[in-house]
Amino acid sequence: MKITIRPAKPEDCKDIERMIMELAVYEKMPDQVKISHKELERDGFGPNPFYQCLVAEVPEEHMSKDGQTKVGYALFFYTYSTWKGRTVYMEDLYVMPEYRGKGIGKALMATVAKVAKEKHCVRLQLSVLDWNKPSLDFYLAKGAEDLTAKEGWHFLRFHGIALDNLAQEAP
Amino acid sequence: MANFILRKAEPKDVSDILRLIKELAKFEEMEDQVILTEKDLLEDGFGDHPFYHCIVAEVPKQHQSADGHVIVGFAMYYFTYDPWIGKLLYLEDFYVMKEYRGFGIGSEILKKLSETAVRTRCSSMHFIVAEWNKPSIDFYKRRGASDLSLEEGWRLFKIDKQNLLKMTSEE
Repeated sequence: MKITIRPAKPEDCKDIERMIMELAVYEKMPDQVKISHKELERDGFGPNPFYQCLVAEVPEEHMSKDGQTKVGYALFFYTYSTWKGRTVYMEDLYVMPEYRGKGIGKALMATVAKVAKEKHCVRLQLSVLDWNKPSLDFYLAKGAEDLTAKEGWHFLRFHGIALDNLAQEAP
Repeated sequence: MANFILRKAEPKDVSDILRLIKELAKFEEMEDQVILTEKDLLEDGFGDHPFYHCIVAEVPKQHQSADGHVIVGFAMYYFTYDPWIGKLLYLEDFYVMKEYRGFGIGSEILKKLSETAVRTRCSSMHFIVAEWNKPSIDFYKRRGASDLSLEEGWRLFKIDKQNLLKMTSEE
């Protein structure tokens, strides 16, 4: 089966939105998805994109049971480490269950790695849920190291009301 | 001493920024991991494609530090993207020199960052903290931060350059 890995275009955003939701369902957090293809179009394309996205596409004769030809995606952006410099953060990597085991995930990641190399990035970072064994195994096999286990890093956030409160706090 | 200003970092500040980055890394017990140079900071923060934004805290000359410094704190941040909620402000580094703590500089920096987040339509401000760093974790939790590693099970992973290059050759 011929698989094409290519940069996403604005017209792909409806498919990306569909796959974002599929991944959120897998991660058991579908109610946390608040944005749609409209925000994805606005934020990913134009002079100042907030993310980069690659899409995995199959020819029409191999379309999915539901008639989809866009069967996987990788969403990433550039970050900065004050110790090492330019880094790529891979936010989402997803392949539809029907298309797994064909090297699509591997090809998507390799393309992200290629983009990272071209931009002189020294590292790729990502996060995985602690119960997600298939993904943990996939990344560990590629040489990933668990910095939460190794160095004790935890993700924190100020979200929604907490963020508003902080912005309004008197000095 | 209560007099300080917060301002956007300028190219001339890179030497101070690097000094403070190294001080923070020393506190995190990882000073030998800082390989970034002033030249990198200049190119990556003030070139055609800034990879980060920086705020610095400056005191008047009469309140300079024991070593003669007037830049006494900084915060480095950039914008990232969450496919579920959109734009985020990511706080990479946040540090105030020991002799200038307790004057509200840290609180003021955090307030300014949260104002920036709200103004630029970010739904959330994210960052990581080492789990043993109790003073910092308490500082953030007092202000309404939540720990996503504990609450949802997210673990941070890295894939270094060597393994990234291996992936590009497998493509």
